Amino acid sequence: MPAKLQKLKGTRAYGYLILLAMVLFFYAVFKILTPDNFGSPANLYSYLQSSIIYSVGGCGLYFIVVMGLFDFAVGANVVLSSIVGVILSEHFGYVGFVVGCLGCGTLIGLLIGTLYNQLNVPSMIVTVGLMLIFECVAVFVAGGVKQTLAPELRFFSGAPGNIILAVLAFVLMYFILNYTKVGTYCNAIGSNEFTAKNMGINVKKYKLIGFILLHFFVGIMAILTVSYGTTMTALTGMTTMSRNFQPLMGTFFGVAFRKYGIPISAIVIGEFIISIIFNGFVALGAPTTIQNVVTGAALLAIVALTARGARGSVVK
Amino acid sequence: MEKKNKSNEQSKLRAFLTGDKFKAVLPLIGFVIIIVVMHIMTNGKILTPKKLRLLFSQIYYPTIVATGVFFIMTLGSIDFTEGSTLGVASIVISVLSFHSIPLAIIGGILTGAAIGALNGFFHVKFRLPSFIVTICTMYLFRGVCAYFTTESAVPASNAIKALDQDWLKITITLAVLTVAFFLFKFTRIGNDVKAVGSGETAARFSGVRTARVKFLTFVCAGALTGLAAFVNVIKVGSITSTAGNQLETQILISLVLGGLPITGGAKVRFTNIIVGTLMYAVLNSGLSILGYEPQVQQLIKGVVFLIFVALTIDRKALKVIK
Amino acid sequence: MDKKTLLVAEHIDKRFGITHAVNDVSLTIAAGEIRGLIGENGSGKSTFCQMLCGIYTIGGGTFTLDGKQLHIRNQVEANNEGISIIVQEMGTLSGLTVAENIYLGHEEPFMRMGVKDTRAMNREAQKLLDSYGFGQIKAGAMIDQYNFEDRKLVEIVKATYMKPKILVIDETTTALSQNGRLELYKIMDAVREDGRSVIFISHDLSEVLAHTDTVSVLRDGEYIDTIESPQVTEDDLKRLMVGREIGSAYYRTDYDDPVTGDTVLSVQSVTVPGELDNISFDLHKGEILGFGGLSESGMHEIGKAIFGASWDREGTVVLADGTKINDIPTAISHSIAYTSKNRDNESIILNESIRNNIVLPSLEDLANHGLLNGRKLTSFADEQAKNMQTKMQNVHQFVSDLSGGNKQKVVLARWLGKGSDILVLDSPTRGIDVKVKQAIYALMADLRKQGKAIIMISEEIQELLGMADRILIMKDGKVNGEFLRNPDLSEEDLIAKMV
Repeated sequence: MPAKLQKLKGTRAYGYLILLAMVLFFYAVFKILTPDNFGSPANLYSYLQSSIIYSVGGCGLYFIVVMGLFDFAVGANVVLSSIVGVILSEHFGYVGFVVGCLGCGTLIGLLIGTLYNQLNVPSMIVTVGLMLIFECVAVFVAGGVKQTLAPELRFFSGAPGNIILAVLAFVLMYFILNYTKVGTYCNAIGSNEFTAKNMGINVKKYKLIGFILLHFFVGIMAILTVSYGTTMTALTGMTTMSRNFQPLMGTFFGVAFRKYGIPISAIVIGEFIISIIFNGFVALGAPTTIQNVVTGAALLAIVALTARGARGSVVK
Repeated sequence: MEKKNKSNEQSKLRAFLTGDKFKAVLPLIGFVIIIVVMHIMTNGKILTPKKLRLLFSQIYYPTIVATGVFFIMTLGSIDFTEGSTLGVASIVISVLSFHSIPLAIIGGILTGAAIGALNGFFHVKFRLPSFIVTICTMYLFRGVCAYFTTESAVPASNAIKALDQDWLKITITLAVLTVAFFLFKFTRIGNDVKAVGSGETAARFSGVRTARVKFLTFVCAGALTGLAAFVNVIKVGSITSTAGNQLETQILISLVLGGLPITGGAKVRFTNIIVGTLMYAVLNSGLSILGYEPQVQQLIKGVVFLIFVALTIDRKALKVIK
Repeated sequence: MDKKTLLVAEHIDKRFGITHAVNDVSLTIAAGEIRGLIGENGSGKSTFCQMLCGIYTIGGGTFTLDGKQLHIRNQVEANNEGISIIVQEMGTLSGLTVAENIYLGHEEPFMRMGVKDTRAMNREAQKLLDSYGFGQIKAGAMIDQYNFEDRKLVEIVKATYMKPKILVIDETTTALSQNGRLELYKIMDAVREDGRSVIFISHDLSEVLAHTDTVSVLRDGEYIDTIESPQVTEDDLKRLMVGREIGSAYYRTDYDDPVTGDTVLSVQSVTVPGELDNISFDLHKGEILGFGGLSESGMHEIGKAIFGASWDREGTVVLADGTKINDIPTAISHSIAYTSKNRDNESIILNESIRNNIVLPSLEDLANHGLLNGRKLTSFADEQAKNMQTKMQNVHQFVSDLSGGNKQKVVLARWLGKGSDILVLDSPTRGIDVKVKQAIYALMADLRKQGKAIIMISEEIQELLGMADRILIMKDGKVNGEFLRNPDLSEEDLIAKMV
């Protein structure tokens, strides 16, 4: 058996095996601790439904994170795009809603990518600045009022609408990664920017494309988010920062499992694992405020396990 | 010919605008401009003694916090936990203030130092980028802060509230600045921190214990935030879940406004702290005197932040801009 | 020669700052020829080829391929012109599949209206791999799954599948096992059969002679000669690689100045995984101990191991007084100095002033009850920098503005200021002009007379012969030969132990 496992090492199957083991482990832990209010099939289905929203954002962030870049404006764009989508939906129905979310999302991506390329400042800093700005823009657009998605436009709020849209997003991601140059080039830039440049890859162009793709996916995430919650309130004060975390956790799973060739599955299953842990704590009776603690600790644990720097490398 | 002259002048201007000399005086120019603009726009309201006193009362604890973060940013690292640390430390101080005030102060400082140690541990031991680590711990301790303030605000004792005196806050702030300036300028510590910021590998090969320096910087910055929490508690008296909200952004913007290059290293100046926090305070109170809504204020701050980062960053220090 | 000319290089030139890496090299290569390219480290052979392949920009001169002058800006353009290279280092990119690596930058044949036909790409890549006999590598798998050698094989496929007119193989064989090498030789022969050409760079002279038609020799960036491989011996090649008369004037001229028997530092069974394998030696007072070898022989790690800078070091480094050196601060406080081959990254803080670079290790000594006095630091740095005759405006100037030689002077000034007794100098004259070189040699001789002990790690054999009291030659992480200072010692003797 160990010999067989050895042979499997590094293959897709091995990657799936690890992910599956993690799912089973966390499921078992919470099932043993609270057998009654955790982990029925219906429960699991609802965990999955909440986790796929973040998985979509996680897929988008993958393009950026894999290149070594960062984006803190994801949360702000989720808020902004969903508000734009809801407002447009009041006039143009589903078309306005979908086009509003996706269009606004993508435009923001174009803006971030362009500014990043022009200013020549680390992406983390640019996006912190832009997050502050987008939060304000969202407040202006919303006019300081809570935006509610009309009840007749809530196809994406539950199964099957949300599942269909999310699966479409995953398929799109799979297509981009495997059937276009973008996926290959993003990976190449992340692996070694100098070599990539030498191979004739236009690094700036593909970084811009990365940001646009990310925020297109953020647009999809906005559709799912506002459908799931039915309302959206714009707030300033870095409040959108917390919306960056859940997608990011999936992305780290994706990056960690990239070497097995299964980034998308890793993002989706990874988010599901986080969702299990979350709901496990809720089932244990932990107050909702402790969720933030769990999120912070979980993300820290994930990055500590997956994103460790090489010895002697300079990490700022 | 004329065209050539013009382009020559343009390139000279560009060289000047991106040069170190300009970068060094930029914060001062900015400071003067902001004061003048605010003075004119508010019809001189900002420079009245009453407003000035108010303005100063706003900068005590940010200055203390900024001093610690200054050292972190000199390393080239970044810290997003100030706000949540201040919140948690304020809760500890408030609870302990019913027993003994010195104990409360020590408790606050130790709480801050412990959070700093956690940040430093993950940053140094696991070689994770500081912004990722501190974003995670920010979220974590915001949760802790919210947990203890779920039911109601945490009150502080009357004894500690009685300490809300200007002279005390001024003394603490000046003492922190003086000690920090002294350490930065006249001891090995300042040299080591700067050396790590401008060239970590070479610093290690020159005998700097880089891992220790980085870890201790985070611990000390945390401890300073804990001390700042004391100043915060005597001022506000009871702690809600929003204690210290957005403090990290405020500090980051302040230091960048003060001319601190986000890359850290040799080009940092101690005056960055003072110029930066003052500038932020003037900007902040100016914008609120002008009656702008919070979102407009945030918008303006965001734009100013981006402009200053783009102007002050030391691109030579970055091989690949990520 | 009746074969048609394929590549003409005329007056190719390249400078890196002050170093003249390639100096006016002209040569021609015929179609259907395997050309060996040899020379010592720093002779410019890799730089020459990397210009041909678009990795470096051409400093001067022209390449003409098949009668057409080349204007190449990057590797893909070079590929399109029919030139490809297999490099020394890892040339494949992690996170991509094998097929993606092979076709990186050349996806066009598989693009159908912007959509990449991944299945066709994998199929073609697999066909290629099979045709090369590398069927064990799967085109659709992630490259990360494979070890260094398999990744090299993928690179070979990547570089040759498009049937380049010129294939450059830069020092690839060292990474390959015997089987891999045989595969590579087969491919080289196939290219020749096809009427195309190979440029083959290797340090292994017997390999070069066995598998090339002709050999060109470069020395110090200059073209020396091209000869028919069957007509020469390894010794002839060595002579050509080395054969210079210059230089001897810089070095020490004494040959009978004895070294004391006092051991100042003792290295005992030091092992660094992947770098050093059970190394032991003693260093004596007033001795210059030279280390030579090929770049990857582990010799550069010796310096780090002594300085306490190696990761996972086993064994002991111990001073005469019994102090064990396990970390850098201990090394420095016990009078050990180290200058790295990687000067800009490890020896010096580029974005910092000369003053702060010089005072950094001496801060403890300069402090008064833990307090530093800025004026005192400045005058200390000024004195040390001036002692080394550093060319600068003042000590507040940033090091990044200085030339290579002056940077090295700042590094040396720092350790002389510290008063270190054991100096570990890794490639002390790398990328430095003749005048500064001379000054450094004079300084070393002087320090030796003062009774300091010096370890000099160098890729320049002349330098070792000229300066060292004793030379240890490294190969594959082990000491492979020891030579005592002797006027009759020749470069060939040392090279024989390196390869």
